[in-house]
Amino acid sequence: MRMSRWRSVCAASALALATSFAPAHASPEDDTLRAAMAEEILNLDYNYTTKREYIILAQLTDATLFNIDPETQEVNPSIATGYEWIDDTTLDVTLRDDVKFHDGSALTPEDVAYTYNWIANPESESNATGVVERWLDNAEVTGPNTVRFHLKSVYPLVIRDMANRIMIRKDGTYNEGGEIDRDAMSSDLIGTGPYRVVSFEPGTELVLERFDDYFGEAPAIGNIVVRNIPDVGTQQAELMSGGIDWMFKVPLDLAESLGATPMASHLSGPDLRVGFLVLDAGGYTDPDGPLTNVLVRRAINHALNTEEMAEFLIGGSAEAIHTACHPAQFGCDQDAVAYPYDPEKAKALLAEAGYPDGFPLELWAYRDKAAAEAIASDLTKVGIDVTLRYVKLESLNQARAAREIPAYFGTWGSGGTADTAAIARIHFSGESDRDMSGDTDLADLVLSAEQTSDQEERKSIYSDAIGKIADEALWAPLFSYSANYLVSPELDFPLDPDGLPRLQNSSWK
Amino acid sequence: MLRYIALRGLLALLVAFTVSLAAFLLLNVAADPAQAIAGEDATPDVVEAIRARYGLDRPLSVRYFDWLGGVLQGDFGESYYWHKPVAELVADRADETITLALSALAVTILIAIPLGALAALNPNSWIDRFALGVAVSAQAVPNFWLGLIMIILFAVMVPIFPVSGDDTWMHFVLPAFVLGASSVPAVMRLTRTGLIEVMGADYVRTARSKGFRGWQLLRRHAMRNALLPVISVLAVQLGQKFGGSVITESIFAINGLGRLALESILGADIPTVQMLIFVFAIVFVAMNLLADILNAALDPRIRIG
Repeated sequence: MRMSRWRSVCAASALALATSFAPAHASPEDDTLRAAMAEEILNLDYNYTTKREYIILAQLTDATLFNIDPETQEVNPSIATGYEWIDDTTLDVTLRDDVKFHDGSALTPEDVAYTYNWIANPESESNATGVVERWLDNAEVTGPNTVRFHLKSVYPLVIRDMANRIMIRKDGTYNEGGEIDRDAMSSDLIGTGPYRVVSFEPGTELVLERFDDYFGEAPAIGNIVVRNIPDVGTQQAELMSGGIDWMFKVPLDLAESLGATPMASHLSGPDLRVGFLVLDAGGYTDPDGPLTNVLVRRAINHALNTEEMAEFLIGGSAEAIHTACHPAQFGCDQDAVAYPYDPEKAKALLAEAGYPDGFPLELWAYRDKAAAEAIASDLTKVGIDVTLRYVKLESLNQARAAREIPAYFGTWGSGGTADTAAIARIHFSGESDRDMSGDTDLADLVLSAEQTSDQEERKSIYSDAIGKIADEALWAPLFSYSANYLVSPELDFPLDPDGLPRLQNSSWK
Repeated sequence: MLRYIALRGLLALLVAFTVSLAAFLLLNVAADPAQAIAGEDATPDVVEAIRARYGLDRPLSVRYFDWLGGVLQGDFGESYYWHKPVAELVADRADETITLALSALAVTILIAIPLGALAALNPNSWIDRFALGVAVSAQAVPNFWLGLIMIILFAVMVPIFPVSGDDTWMHFVLPAFVLGASSVPAVMRLTRTGLIEVMGADYVRTARSKGFRGWQLLRRHAMRNALLPVISVLAVQLGQKFGGSVITESIFAINGLGRLALESILGADIPTVQMLIFVFAIVFVAMNLLADILNAALDPRIRIG
């Protein structure tokens, strides 16, 4: 981290020197968008990967049965034209008849049924298995353009899962001739998305070109090259010299420095990731500990200056939040009670709870050290004797699993899913050690939202759940994050409210 | 001699295994490989699935001896990330690192030896001070800073070289300079000291009396003896270049072993890290051995074994 900061400082000083020169930018003449990613791209098959970079690439090369509109959160057709519930556990999905794979073959219902059955099979060892095996019993072809999904039990979020995760593959892709090959699509990907793979050198470069037979709206830019450049300073130099047109995950200070020059444009968009303080309200570390007292938890909420943390420590489009979800997520009711920054009120609440002189608190954190220190500082100001334990994520996970953590500063990106379900289930359903609320009623409430397909009802349930979390101050919600991009001044790169970068929507100015 | 080489080879293997054991233990203590592979937001079921898939749920001792058993049969295992045999992965990336290391060594030789010789020929002059100044600066400047400055100067402001990548020889010029610069101080000082010492020797005085002066004296009489310790250091420096290319390769996006090591460490890709450490240790010990053998070949007074 220290080295990375040094590099940032060095890059900034070098930048100041370089801005007096006007480099020639790569023009859109060759209609190629060159993007840089620090994370090495090793596998193009999103059915076997999880990280954000792979989601971005999957948007380019693959298609799912449905799409979720990032603006409205409505489900739109994609490979599927529509669906019909036959009964509570039987779903018929109708497919388009003009979808082609990148090798020119037409997509068939057999391909769709095969893909889902394969992913649901534990033998597939797919990273998406967890999503599908929860609800899918099996999929079968019922007509020239229809697939029937038999569910294990009632699960109304099937369409959302179909939209978010499963990339359709050709029948037999992973076990042709009975021999299992989980890496079948890792390099030579045959997808159905708007771009097809021209060449791929793992860890170095991915070259894509527009797929002319794509069934949807054709992207404006003909070619996309994704280069792996691990160092952010080098990425900046490439941008300045016209070697790349797009970079993301840019530290705010550097994004602002370079964005202020004619060489690049700084875009700051929303990110579904939120930061929060999880409090051991359930008393797992100490059944009679101060955090089991709702007054103490409210005091902690009042003690934190989240506005300033968002503005000065996270920056960009980051904002303070007061809910246990991102405001852009479906069901994230913003009418939940808020606890404005008020240290005096925090002290009064602590006194009322029987802790006029505060209490010792071990606060764990694993990222954004400056924010963790700001949290510790704010809590110290109201009399809480904070010991900050800044550790690696793995250590925090282990300690949390052993129920040894009274409070931790955590973040969650919801996998880019703009739905409260994506954050509530993992943190409040009682199914993981991340749930430190110990509130079984809340867990039932959160799980009940997944038992209805009525969107208004789901919204209402999540509203109740988010309200309850706020009332009980089970968390201290802190801030949303922002996504900083540096792009070529010639590139028009639209930002979506769900924070997922969609390079396929880019165009030249 | 052969016995000596065999002994040193055995020592190299022992060093490599010891270091790989330490690396294995440290990596497992410092990180949860399953979590690192799955990513920050992975759900527990995904992490557990990965743990089971790669056998990471087995005891450490079982995993280590499993790896060791494989190594003894020439199988270094499969990378968690790249899903291919580690040996194949390392072989694929070795070219770039060998090219970079040798280029960097060439840069070191081309800068340090003439600079050291100039300083030795003009002791305590402004040339000597300048050479020492260069040496001190090269030692003080961190690789990543020098790398970024070189990129800004020679790839952005005056775009002579490409910013990053490893497609052509042009891509290696800046990284070779950056990696080579870090060895300049040691080699330059040793050259200077060795030459000053040799220049005071009787046989050099005799050569002077025969009329040899300046570069001629240096080249024909002084250099060979003065460079003996330099050769040892260069061999060691070459070993260090292999292991020390991590930062340089990352900055210049060179797809070599250094970058592979960094990515593997960050991703807790234990089989890859272990093989890389094994390879780096072997290379390092081999380079030391080579230095001893070269010294013996150049100076008949030195006998090894």
